[in-house]
Amino acid sequence: MSVLTSGEFWAFVGVVAGIYTILTLGLQIEFGYAGLLNFGHVAFMAIGSYTMAILVVKSGWSMWLAAPAAVVASAAAGVVLGLATLRLRADYFAIVTIALSEIVRYVATNEDRLTGGSQGTINLAGAEEASDYNSQWQRFQDWFQGALHLGSKDVAMLLLVWAVALVLTALVALSIRTPWGRVLRAIREDEDAARSLGKNVFAYKLQALALGSALAGVAGLFYAWQFAFFSPADFAPLLTFFAWMILILGGVGRAWAVPVGALVFGVIFAGTRFFEFAPFTWFDSAERAYLRLMVIGLVLIGLILFRPQGLLGKREELVLE
Amino acid sequence: MFLQLLANGLVTGAVYAIAAVGVSLVYGILRIVHFAYGDLMTFGAFVAVTFDTTLGLGMIVATAAAMVAASALSVGLDFALWRPLRARRANFMSLFLASIGLALVLRQAIFLAWGPQPRAFDVDPFKVYTIGSVRLSGAQVIAIVVAVVAIVLVGLLLSFTTLGRTMRAVADDRSLAAVAGIDTGRVVLATWVLSGALAAIAGVLAGLVQSTFDPNFGFTLLLPVFAAVVLGGIGNPYGALAGGFLLGIVTELSTWEGFGGGVDPVYKPVVAFAVLIVVLLARPQGILGRARLV
Amino acid sequence: MSALLEVRDVVRSFGGVRAVDGASLDVEAASITSLIGPNGAGKSTLFNIVSGFLRAEAGTVSLEGRRIDRLPPHRIARAGLVRTFQTARALARMTVLDNVVLAAPRQPGERLVRNVVGGRATRRREQEVRVRAHELLELVRLDGHAHALAATLSGGQRKLLDFARVLMTEPRLVLLDEPMAGVNPVLRGELLEHVVSLREEHGVTVLLVEHDLEVVMGVSDRVVVMSNGAVIASGPPDGVRSDARVVDAYLGVEE
Repeated sequence: MSVLTSGEFWAFVGVVAGIYTILTLGLQIEFGYAGLLNFGHVAFMAIGSYTMAILVVKSGWSMWLAAPAAVVASAAAGVVLGLATLRLRADYFAIVTIALSEIVRYVATNEDRLTGGSQGTINLAGAEEASDYNSQWQRFQDWFQGALHLGSKDVAMLLLVWAVALVLTALVALSIRTPWGRVLRAIREDEDAARSLGKNVFAYKLQALALGSALAGVAGLFYAWQFAFFSPADFAPLLTFFAWMILILGGVGRAWAVPVGALVFGVIFAGTRFFEFAPFTWFDSAERAYLRLMVIGLVLIGLILFRPQGLLGKREELVLE
Repeated sequence: MFLQLLANGLVTGAVYAIAAVGVSLVYGILRIVHFAYGDLMTFGAFVAVTFDTTLGLGMIVATAAAMVAASALSVGLDFALWRPLRARRANFMSLFLASIGLALVLRQAIFLAWGPQPRAFDVDPFKVYTIGSVRLSGAQVIAIVVAVVAIVLVGLLLSFTTLGRTMRAVADDRSLAAVAGIDTGRVVLATWVLSGALAAIAGVLAGLVQSTFDPNFGFTLLLPVFAAVVLGGIGNPYGALAGGFLLGIVTELSTWEGFGGGVDPVYKPVVAFAVLIVVLLARPQGILGRARLV
Repeated sequence: MSALLEVRDVVRSFGGVRAVDGASLDVEAASITSLIGPNGAGKSTLFNIVSGFLRAEAGTVSLEGRRIDRLPPHRIARAGLVRTFQTARALARMTVLDNVVLAAPRQPGERLVRNVVGGRATRRREQEVRVRAHELLELVRLDGHAHALAATLSGGQRKLLDFARVLMTEPRLVLLDEPMAGVNPVLRGELLEHVVSLREEHGVTVLLVEHDLEVVMGVSDRVVVMSNGAVIASGPPDGVRSDARVVDAYLGVEE
């Protein structure tokens, strides 16, 4: 029970929530604003993480150059996705995006020499070099920790992630209030009406995908920095579904709903670890992991049934009706 | 080798085809992209394996039990989840997301009930049938036979019974069907029963063919099944059949050395997805789908 | 002098059926032209082709002498040819004001970067646009609803909103797809006045599809009649009304 009050544990939960915030912000732009059903979102996170790691370890780039390059790579991948699939009707698009994200995962799993294969980045260049992309970050994080006299590494990472997450949230919120954002929302409402008013719908959708994927790439960077080693299994479709859940939980179409949704999701997910009462006590810890995911699934269903506008959404502006 | 791959492809294709018909019916009639269908297949396989190995009742009883269980579960879920959503006039997105939530719940439930260890059916692994240059395991032969029977029966149902024709009418045009006075309640029930049974069959066959399977395997199959459905034109059960077989065959054949060395077998699922994407680029409505002015 | 809009020998089929079968028509600048014909004559299809939402299989469409038949719909709209839809496509979850503001041309803010670089010009234009939007909403008497969601408007009000939006685009030619459909009699008069004012006060050319023949005859400078995918008659309302072919076409279908 003492873990429940452990600062480190909750700092960790906070970090993960921060990463999910950045990831879901991307989805908010793609779906919440532009109405695109991207169910392969996690692939762009993977591209961000892997691109940075590969550039640093295999090509010897400085991490501070590899990071923005990775974000650009994610954005470019988003554009490629769009060029190939935006002509499809919404349901086909959704299915194809899942397929594409699985392709990315398969390639990452099987191209050992490029990505370290299924064992992950620990394999990238042999044991002692694999942490190279992380050591530059660790040094920065340690400096940050020292400069602010923080107690632990987790707290340092927490602050860094959330600083970025909140800035990005603010930027996304601002962007939707521009004329550009207005066109996106119009596209979500009625594409043909938007076209009849002179808006190049295809171009805007591509932009939404590029930005959304870039954000996923940034999330991927923080994922790589937080977890040091990662593997393709970390980027399973389940993560995309978590992002969707957070999106709905917070409220579709409102940028500031994303951090709220991510925090609540984090608390639900982590908090269920500590339920020391029946029926949870009937299960051993391995089984509780299944139970936790079950709870997540039930929460998602419950949201759709009872509160589709999420925590912060308004009923009239319901996208999920 | 080519013929062997073709035979393997037919087997894989059969599994895809049966599942694809189920998915297609659910989509066509209920407008639900059933993301939990893979886990329903897993459920069928696990129920069957319990009846087969744990209770020792043999494959036929096991499959029957699986079909009953999966149909019952599907119908139960209609009452618990889909009906309330229909009452709220949920749109495509809501239904899709609800099915994702359902998939999560179902899979974890299977993990909880049966545990994570891989299972296998009680089939003689050494029994091999040889036709010319093609060798088929006992499991594969059973799969083909059962698949053919199932497909023929479903085809007969859809083409020649009133219920079947009604189902196809509703799948084709829901609002029109309602106006024509079709009892959509009965059709909905029939859809869940049939798609549940098909999921069970597909799950059992897949488990047979794969020799061992764990609670995740249904979902792994689901994406190629979706690909088959989209390929054949969504909502069209015959298209789904064709799509399933096509994908199964193309996927297996792609590993043939005659095609410039052949694709690494580990990339077979990628081939399925690649085929889907290429076809959709050229023909966005799918092979047998109708070009709708959306 | 060539007409503002020239449609020549346009052909389009659906699954073997020729919806538009060699249709040709002219629309003169600063005029109101009505396109009429029995159901299934191909009017909507022709509309969709002219506005770029459907591709013609053969034939040409020119606006002010420029070929537009291969252009995507948004480029045609930018060229000054703006259309409405049969069911008013109000952007439901956006405010009434935003619906109109959206339609304004030449908004630098619609490029994301310009909201940061050159932000002042962007904001200035945004201000201008808002003022103009309010003017237009006043014109259609929807100014009181400016900040309400468009979803709260009635069908007739949505048509008025459509109208304000179209004006906002500063069009040369407006295609009105059954503007009176589903509008209650009270609002009809108002809507009709606005249609006429398009030509009178704004110098905008109008091509409209309409089933209400009274409206058509009263308001049009020219009437074009379609039947079975082709244009069978065109001219001033009175001439067309008594044209035997036209009577035939309508009676023939009503059987």
